[in-house]
Amino acid sequence: MSARNQEQWTAKPKLQSGEWVDSKIYSDEEIFEEELEKIWKQMWIPVCHESELKNAYDFRTMTIAREPVIVVRGKDMKVRAFLNVCPHRGNMIERRPSGSFAKSTPSGTPKTMTCMFHAWQFDMKGKCVNITRKEEGYQDRLCESDVGLRELKSEVYFGGFIWVSLNDNINQTVEEFAAGALDSLAPSVNEEPLEVFHYHKAIIDCNYKLWHDTNCEFYHDYLHYHNRITGFNDEYFARKNTGFKGGHVNVGSFEVQYENYEGFHSREELSFPHLPANQWYMIDMFPGVNFNLRGSALRSDIMTPLGPNKVMIEFRGLGLASDSPKDRKIRIDHHNSIWGPFGRNLCEDLIAVTGQGATMQSGSESRQILHGRHENETIHDENGMRHYYEEWGRWVGRSPSHPDQPFVEPTETA
Amino acid sequence: MAVNGAEIAEKIKSLIYKTCLYQDDCEWNKWLDLCSNDYHYSIRAYSPEIQKDMEYMGGPKEYMESITGQLRKHNIDDSPLKRHAVVYRVDVADDNKSATAVTSLTVFQTLLGGNSSHVDAGTTGIFLVGRYNDKFVVDGDDVKFIEREVRLETRRLDKGTHWPI
Repeated sequence: MSARNQEQWTAKPKLQSGEWVDSKIYSDEEIFEEELEKIWKQMWIPVCHESELKNAYDFRTMTIAREPVIVVRGKDMKVRAFLNVCPHRGNMIERRPSGSFAKSTPSGTPKTMTCMFHAWQFDMKGKCVNITRKEEGYQDRLCESDVGLRELKSEVYFGGFIWVSLNDNINQTVEEFAAGALDSLAPSVNEEPLEVFHYHKAIIDCNYKLWHDTNCEFYHDYLHYHNRITGFNDEYFARKNTGFKGGHVNVGSFEVQYENYEGFHSREELSFPHLPANQWYMIDMFPGVNFNLRGSALRSDIMTPLGPNKVMIEFRGLGLASDSPKDRKIRIDHHNSIWGPFGRNLCEDLIAVTGQGATMQSGSESRQILHGRHENETIHDENGMRHYYEEWGRWVGRSPSHPDQPFVEPTETA
Repeated sequence: MAVNGAEIAEKIKSLIYKTCLYQDDCEWNKWLDLCSNDYHYSIRAYSPEIQKDMEYMGGPKEYMESITGQLRKHNIDDSPLKRHAVVYRVDVADDNKSATAVTSLTVFQTLLGGNSSHVDAGTTGIFLVGRYNDKFVVDGDDVKFIEREVRLETRRLDKGTHWPI
């Protein structure tokens, strides 16, 4: 059989269940809304890095599953997260991406979060400290203690990343949530404070899971042919994909032969603490976070799903807070050459996934997306994606291969 | 041949516009031929998110020659980028041996394929906005770039590009 007709094209693949997914999971509006409710509003999500809020009264704003979030550093230097919503009339309290509450704003006094609309004020612990003309309007029916901000669960974990959950009842710490997936890099990122040196964002037309898939699978080495294939060796193909409880995956390291890539040179001059030169680890965290350490620079991708076929990806590059200017420049150059918005690989990855997004728009026909490569759980095995979608099925309650059917735990042999 | 500051300033304007045409046409070698051997190129932006000045790309002339020489080996978005530049200011040093210039820059992208070539091809949108902050070395009537900083306002860069701006 060569080219196929419609019946053949849409027929079940000659693979085991779990070795493909239905493209509907990337395009369906209803499934997307379920994902926001059942996954994104339930999980720990890293939202920024502590170096973005160095001083007391510093803040950062972001969203999780459309909900506006603000992270602030208190006078006690503790980081706390709140819904960025005024309890009065639902206005967004702070619109800037970052800044400091140490100074006054046009509607408010220093050291408070002030809603510009009616000047209700809150301290760094979320307590309401001022309702303007309270007695005149509310008499004794409402007071400050009734209208504090909604605090969100938050933790600083893994090299200073700030994790937030919208789920008040989340019964895991971030460490428990990670289930060991972050351990391989923990000594390197926890030895001393890190600092973000790079930030840019992409909003692209594809489902968030397609970007996560691309971070999970290395079979797309062929997309970066001249930056990858030329450096391949047996050690590369032996890299292991290891699944961890919760849908997380760790891609094992090897020593990258940068000098085999035209225009590159070895990065042995600079690494991370406890990390031998030129190593390359990758950690993919469920549901849409990636940590990628190539010797001298750490990259994080934090995804914010915006629709079934739209995702925002925030790209950060990190080094050590103690970097000398010379070392920082080396890290920046290494980071940018591959991962910058004008670098060699990132554009190619983004072009590829938007190509997938173009064929999987809402309303497009359901197709099978194959995740069936088995290579002893090494680098071109697609076990990372299979592991992810098993977890996805548990949370959403749908079979990834047959999303109109309930999820069933796979058998050992499946 | 002796030249005065006004003549140098005119040469510099012409040189900046020439780089735009060469880069629009992906004539990378012709672009870099306008630069001295000590040339340094960078793309930078300030991020209010992390409250830091950032470098997105940077290197000396030989690095730029190396990466532009390898473009054919990459899977590139071939959607043309066209620069709209207006030289706002040229300052020539009193000794006529150096100069600086500030150029307002908007880069438009016309999609070759986009997400769906059937729908998107031919669509033009703003790719980024920023400025060229340039420095020059002047030797008589010979003027060459010695430094270009592309200072971006845009930080949402979506798919980005392999091409220097």
